[in-house]
Amino acid sequence: MGAWEEETAIRFAGISQRKPNFKLGPITLDIPKGYITAIVGPNGSGKSTLFRMALDLEKPSEGTVTLLGEPVGQGDDVEVKQKIGFLPEETLPHEDKLTAREKANFNSFWYKDWDVNRYQDLLLSLQVNDNLQLGKMSKGMRRKCEFALALSHAPELLLLDEPSSGLDPLAWKTMIEILHRYMEPGNRTILMTSHIVEEVKRLADFIVFMAQGRVLGVYEKDELFSSWFTFFVSGDGLTAQKAASMPGGSGVEPAGNATYRITTGKAFEAEQWCEANGLQIVGRQALELDEIMSTLLQQESIGRR
Amino acid sequence: MRLPIQINEQSAEPLYHQIEVQLRALIVSGQLEEGTLLPSIRELAQSVKCSVITVKRVYSDLEGEGLLRTRQGTGTYVAKVGEQERDRHKYASVIEALEQALMAGKRMQCTEEEMKELFEESLRQHYKQGGEA
Repeated sequence: MGAWEEETAIRFAGISQRKPNFKLGPITLDIPKGYITAIVGPNGSGKSTLFRMALDLEKPSEGTVTLLGEPVGQGDDVEVKQKIGFLPEETLPHEDKLTAREKANFNSFWYKDWDVNRYQDLLLSLQVNDNLQLGKMSKGMRRKCEFALALSHAPELLLLDEPSSGLDPLAWKTMIEILHRYMEPGNRTILMTSHIVEEVKRLADFIVFMAQGRVLGVYEKDELFSSWFTFFVSGDGLTAQKAASMPGGSGVEPAGNATYRITTGKAFEAEQWCEANGLQIVGRQALELDEIMSTLLQQESIGRR
Repeated sequence: MRLPIQINEQSAEPLYHQIEVQLRALIVSGQLEEGTLLPSIRELAQSVKCSVITVKRVYSDLEGEGLLRTRQGTGTYVAKVGEQERDRHKYASVIEALEQALMAGKRMQCTEEEMKELFEESLRQHYKQGGEA
């Protein structure tokens, strides 16, 4: 593994941006090559702006972005953009009058690795017909076409902004399978955003939390989920004050006779702490992604007050 | 190929450990024969909904134990497990499970006598009366 694991697909180094109603950064963030990284966070936390900066569609006022080893925004980027597939959150209105097939023809002209068989395969597995104007398609149908279009030149790096928005459950499942298959060679990278907990759970290797233009943390998925638990702890003479000193503990609530419900982001240390203090864990529950996020957000706003 | 591995998200046991214990048991018990091609790292991660980092760790741990072997470019296979080694692993996993049970007993503040009784009751249930479990 070693060196291979440390390779970076995208590097955001000290980027920031100020707009009249929004401040982004400073953000320093490495997206590792060979993995799926999901950015999660409330609306307006700056996720899509990061994507646009990676593609030089928007420039940071400070800092630099490096994409597949090339600095972004300095000269000819035709080469490097050949290796990228991008699925933006919003469709482009000027493409409404194009049929998906016409857009595919256009893409095949610009991408030298365009693979028409791959494109047809994708359409087939997603069960869409590309002989219709993009603007006349249903939201889900257009999403499926745009998804197939973003993948058909077998890009090294995929940027997916809310990829599943508008998809029905069956199409969603197909998309997840396609993305896993896409990652099979081991040297490809996906950076995605998602509001769907189950999607992040099924796809991501790494999770980045963002809020209010800042990165709150980057976590390996399994480590993240195994660190966040709600424990019901009980013991003779256990007080709320004592319960609050649990490692990583937050949100202590009484739960009956000398029993407290405590949420912790350091489950392993918390269990050891209970043992050392002669306390019993009478119940436990793993946290869901949205619960972890809201706890992190709470801790953040407390920390900055 | 789908491996019969099941994950308990509510357990305190780390995910990699849950997978490792189950995969080791499949190999040591002979359920997965020598030379069986295992799913790719991404495939297994997908089917148990964990990250590829976790599966990599499991495969590399079991490779270190000599239970798996990876051929560059073709995948990960079940290695030849010798008779002696099989026994050693067989007992090792049982001993580990027993220790877990003892720790659970201690947490519940059971006495040694109580634990003996519970153990014997389990023995009777699983071994003497037909042993359907």
